[in-house]
Amino acid sequence: MTIPITSVTLDQSLSRAGPAAASFARLWTSLWAQDQLPQGLLELCRLTFARLHRDQDELAASNPLAGERPDMDVLSRLVAEDKAHDSPAFTDGEKAVLLFAEYYWTDTQSIPDEVADRVKAHFGDPGLVLLIEALGCIDGRIRTARCLRDMAASRSKMEEVAHVE
Amino acid sequence: MSNKPHVTGPGTNTGNVIRDSMMGLVPGTVSEIIALNGHVWRDSLVSPSLLEILRLRNARTVNCVFCKSVRYDVARADGLTEDRVELVADGYETSDLAPREKAAIALADAYLGFPAGMDEETAGRIAEHFSEDEIASMMVALMTYNFTSRAAVSNGGMPEDPLPITEMQVAVAGG
Repeated sequence: MTIPITSVTLDQSLSRAGPAAASFARLWTSLWAQDQLPQGLLELCRLTFARLHRDQDELAASNPLAGERPDMDVLSRLVAEDKAHDSPAFTDGEKAVLLFAEYYWTDTQSIPDEVADRVKAHFGDPGLVLLIEALGCIDGRIRTARCLRDMAASRSKMEEVAHVE
Repeated sequence: MSNKPHVTGPGTNTGNVIRDSMMGLVPGTVSEIIALNGHVWRDSLVSPSLLEILRLRNARTVNCVFCKSVRYDVARADGLTEDRVELVADGYETSDLAPREKAAIALADAYLGFPAGMDEETAGRIAEHFSEDEIASMMVALMTYNFTSRAAVSNGGMPEDPLPITEMQVAVAGG
């Protein structure tokens, strides 16, 4: 079975672009290795975006960079089902980050001050900056993966037609 | 939208606009971002003028006032004039832009859309004008322009009115 192109597997598809793609892959890896935000929280943001994009391939993708924490399966399921904000399983800081992510995805221009301030209250200015950087990369990779999947599907269909003809 | 930035830069004056921005607060990623910006401009598989068209299309959609005011030196040197920049607008399909440039804008719009993605007609049109290597290269550039412009916008403090056009050297925004 072929593994679909997602934000997690994207670097393989982009490597043909050369040094810029390699550089983007290094940035992607470095984002997950920072300590301004707790382990696993960016992965919950990725799943939040996957849900908002209604992208089943993205939701099903397993991210080796996600970071380990014992409650990750439970939290991931709650995020995928859009139940995070009502759940006691998440800390206030985690809820603040997930709320910022939802505003970021919906309209980057309209993030209320209080939403950003809540993130800063828990994780400081560097935490908010890392979050902003990571959200942009996660969303960009999901978008790129969708475009490349659509192009691959179109190419396959054209090849099938050519084969029949 | 906030009238002032949520976060300000580290107060440094290194001469690199990215390192001196808020991104300088995360030392573990800022060098990678600077390097990426340099690689996109220097090592992409499409021309600097085509990259600039992608960047400006993104800036317009994201509504990053800063990004909209910038013109990269390498794109100008590659022949992208202000007259042609003005064509990267709503009516681009009927403009004098080259078919390859219009296909690049269609790719940017597919990436930037809600939902992101493209229909078969758009996919076929893009494949007609670009190799798979070039498409991958443009996607890397689009992601780079998009996440940096959205970082600026999401941080708040964006001016409401347009800024004067300013030339940016790759040397002060890339590694």
